[in-house]
Amino acid sequence: MEQLVQEIKSKLENNEDFLLQRDYLADTAIILLGFNTLVDFVKTRAVLQKHAESHLLQNRPPEDLWNAIGELIEGNVNKAISSIYEGKLIIHLADTDRSIIMEPVSTMLDRSIETPANENVIQGALNAFTEGIDANIGIVRKLVNSEELIMASYSTGQNRKKKLSLLYLEGQADTELLKNLESHIEKNIHQDISDLQGLAKMLGFPSWSAISKFNTTELPHHAVQYLKKGRVILFIDRLPFALILPSLLWDMFAIENDRNFPLPIMIAIRSIRIIGILITLITPGLYVALVSVNPEVLQIQLALSVAQSREGVPYPALVEIIFMLVILELILEASVRLPKSIGPTITMVGGIILGQAVVEAKLVSNLLIIILAATTIANSTIAGFQNAVSIRLFKYVIVILASIYGLLGLVSGLVIIGAYLAGLDTYGKSYLYINVKGNESNGR
Amino acid sequence: MADKSLHVMLMYIISHLGLIFFMYPGNIISSTSQGHWLPILVGILIHFIFIFIYMKGLSYFPKKDIIRIYSEVGKGTAILFIVPVFLYFSMILLITVRAYSEIITIVFLSETPLWAIMLLMISISAYIASKGVEVIFRTGLLLAILFLPIIIFIFFTSFQNVDWRYAIPFDANFGFLTKRTYYEGFFAFSGGFLFLGFVQPYLSYKRKHVLWAAAFLIPFFIFSVYVPVLTFGQATSSTTFLPYVVAVDAININWLMFDRVTMFFLLSLISFIMLFLALVSWKAIRILSHYLPSIRPVKLLIALSAAVFFSCFLIPDWKDVEKLFWWNTFLRFYVLVAIPLSIFFFGLRMKGKDSNETV
Repeated sequence: MEQLVQEIKSKLENNEDFLLQRDYLADTAIILLGFNTLVDFVKTRAVLQKHAESHLLQNRPPEDLWNAIGELIEGNVNKAISSIYEGKLIIHLADTDRSIIMEPVSTMLDRSIETPANENVIQGALNAFTEGIDANIGIVRKLVNSEELIMASYSTGQNRKKKLSLLYLEGQADTELLKNLESHIEKNIHQDISDLQGLAKMLGFPSWSAISKFNTTELPHHAVQYLKKGRVILFIDRLPFALILPSLLWDMFAIENDRNFPLPIMIAIRSIRIIGILITLITPGLYVALVSVNPEVLQIQLALSVAQSREGVPYPALVEIIFMLVILELILEASVRLPKSIGPTITMVGGIILGQAVVEAKLVSNLLIIILAATTIANSTIAGFQNAVSIRLFKYVIVILASIYGLLGLVSGLVIIGAYLAGLDTYGKSYLYINVKGNESNGR
Repeated sequence: MADKSLHVMLMYIISHLGLIFFMYPGNIISSTSQGHWLPILVGILIHFIFIFIYMKGLSYFPKKDIIRIYSEVGKGTAILFIVPVFLYFSMILLITVRAYSEIITIVFLSETPLWAIMLLMISISAYIASKGVEVIFRTGLLLAILFLPIIIFIFFTSFQNVDWRYAIPFDANFGFLTKRTYYEGFFAFSGGFLFLGFVQPYLSYKRKHVLWAAAFLIPFFIFSVYVPVLTFGQATSSTTFLPYVVAVDAININWLMFDRVTMFFLLSLISFIMLFLALVSWKAIRILSHYLPSIRPVKLLIALSAAVFFSCFLIPDWKDVEKLFWWNTFLRFYVLVAIPLSIFFFGLRMKGKDSNETV
């Protein structure tokens, strides 16, 4: 047997799914090499035979056929092996040192395009991105349907290759942002990017930033709207969402699908989200401040009823609220972990039983439960899960400051958070801009 | 460079609002017993004249801040003008932190120790200042969105108990010019405007917009004095420590669940003051790092903040704050008058030189 085949075989024979088949194609002896977990051999061979037959009927030389089915290589064992790992089929022409790298019929490993799993849409397009990067790019192409769409692909990582794609609309995307992105990707192309932290490292973003630099979306419709507004999409193979860069504060309030409603409704929906973020940040801190530091701010009747609801609660407001907030975070985290069938049970146990019992046992006040419920509900109105998590974290800053300084702490917390948000940027594009298209003139 | 007039306008409004409502009404009320409109008007006029001269002067030096302008003119000039400005900034930092912490303790945090409040104010302003001027301005925008509506709402409700007859007698005289408190009241006019000369390399703005912002402030200047006068009358309001705050304290809004609306008013203003402090620290650091380029600005900032914090302990009570306030008045007028005029003068001179050369 030929040297090339021997070499490949010696390197790959430890793998049970490595397949080596002899066959004839257009009266030439060939050897097929590939993984049968990645390549559907039966179908691929049928395709090959059909190719060969049509070529024979037209009386064309076999050389044409080889060129038609794939890329011809001579020798080059390493390239052959890496192609096999990528799921390609190697067709070795017997008694020569030539082989063909062919794109075979692959086994179905990707799920089909389905409805989004983590983002709900009311009255909007329902398809969602999947794990396969090519399918995702295809969906975007179909939606944009214009020559403006430019796509660049990179193969990143040292040993385990990962495909990264960059999509933008020519003439819309900010050139400086693109230049920065491309230079960072090319500089760090050997870094591992199997997760967003890795990608952030590759792109040179600080790893201690509390707000994600990527705005993620599962919905192709949203992603394309962002493209039209001059943003850039990144796709990583095997991640079923688009990463929109740069991410902006306004994304917490605005969802593209809002535009499917009449304008007044859209404004109302967005103001609800703004109220939501304010309530999430303020109410827990306000409770602590009013109960433990500045009760005189409230009208006397209200102050009395607050005091009454806290009657018998044996510890300070800060401990009380941190205690309940942590339990709430636990419930949220648990309901993410649990299988869908058990999830509702946790909600019931956590929400109804715990909430009711904890009040009756006089461990926390009634009012606190109401505030926590309001906070959690308000937090869920924020668009984007990543954003919601960040805001969830910020409220603790305010709670702690409010427990020390009362209302002054509440306000200083807001100032700090405001300054923090104002200080974020992506390659010079401030987080507070409403829109990155064009230049800064429309920035906030 | 992008036009950031909106940011500059908001910052201008924010930093002045933070200064107007506290000491200014008390100073004006005690400077005259009737016809308060005249002292206010004189102050506003002076304010307008000097910011106009200042900006006119600055427009001869596009994209340069006043540190560079002065150092290009000559070393002597730089010392003559930059040193007082730096001293003035340090004094502002010291006085503002100390005075506002005192006000906070008096009004609503009577049990929190003074140092804790000062520490909070200084560390927040240092944090914001460390992020640079653009962040200061963007933060200003966010804070304006959050707190400006509250301030304007409460400003309007503060007319609740007004009796317009107290505005009489209307005739005024210039007797206030002999009163010390009147000059102390210029704190509200002269504190904020210098930043226009510092941000030029970073942001561009239109002169007209700044003048609009200053015009927007006029009703606040007038009514911060007149609301307490119209609520309590001159005789009573001159006995109060912070007349406008007391007047707001007298508001009663039934449908609001809060009893003390003052609190929210004060807190919003204090958030503006924190930003103002950040801006002043940033300006002071700009000056310092121009002359000490080898030290990193962050270190200078930390050193300055620490110095201000510890100097605050040297001021034991409110009497000393007032004394400092008075001493600072000389510096304040120097800065208010000399800086705009000198910039304008150097600008004219440079323009003359240029046109001579081209001819």
